[in-house]
Amino acid sequence: MLYLITGGSGSGKSAYAEAVVQRLGNTPRLYIATMYPFDGECRERIRRHRAMRAEKGFETLECYTGLKDAEVSGYGTVLLECMSNLAANELYQEGGAGRQCVEAVLEGVRRIREQCVHLVIVTNEIFSDGIEYDPETRRYQQDLAVINRELASMADVVVEVVYSIPLVHKGNPEVTG
Amino acid sequence: MILVTGGCFQGKTAYACETFGIRREEAADGALCPPEELYRTKLLYHFHEYIRRLMESGQEFSMERLKRENPDVVLVTNELGYGVVPVDRFDREYREKTGRVCCRIAEEAAQVHRVVCGIGTVIKDG
Repeated sequence: MLYLITGGSGSGKSAYAEAVVQRLGNTPRLYIATMYPFDGECRERIRRHRAMRAEKGFETLECYTGLKDAEVSGYGTVLLECMSNLAANELYQEGGAGRQCVEAVLEGVRRIREQCVHLVIVTNEIFSDGIEYDPETRRYQQDLAVINRELASMADVVVEVVYSIPLVHKGNPEVTG
Repeated sequence: MILVTGGCFQGKTAYACETFGIRREEAADGALCPPEELYRTKLLYHFHEYIRRLMESGQEFSMERLKRENPDVVLVTNELGYGVVPVDRFDREYREKTGRVCCRIAEEAAQVHRVVCGIGTVIKDG
């Protein structure tokens, strides 16, 4: 099963995604972490997420770009967090896919999907603040939006989390088979 | 406790006043009211602005005190966090903090309503 979990910042979507993973049984769990530790604020965020995951039985794989080369065989459930970071890394980082961001990310997701039983992807809603950004940022918004739409179309379950409350847009998150 | 959320200018406060039978004059404006108003009023709108003011004065929101002193309050807040990560550090922290506080309130709330174009949908009940 492919689960897509979306929501705004601070909406509780990570905690929800981890709860989904826990419901998916006791198979080996892999967490693919995509946030690059640029500065103290990122490191603090990474620390907070690690603390949330402690005791939940995840191994962690850091993957900032090139998801298609990630080795995930042998894991039952893979949690990828967060698509908004992965897309930004592919777009902007040296060695990233640049203009081929969307294709690179989707190819990576398909590869991961083939290797595990369940894939849970956390993404982000960055489309509704009404601000006209510079062309580079608009490009990022557009690429992430296209990725989200493609993932939603592939997914069995799509859930938007609003202040920890799941709003189900597709499928049934209670069905785990 | 009841939480009403949604984007800006969606008619959240009007919806809340009508739904819960509260007159606008009875409601407190979180952008302007004295901080203590949170613990007395029936309805506080611009709750996100209230959180911003708490942060600006270096104070923490206390869920325990709110539950103890005003457990039936209706809180109306903008749903922040649906945009690009802000460049300004305080803006980032404010957006994050509002989300975390609202997650706590949603957890405690008997009901959570989300308003789009003036129309409310109950997304949590009980």
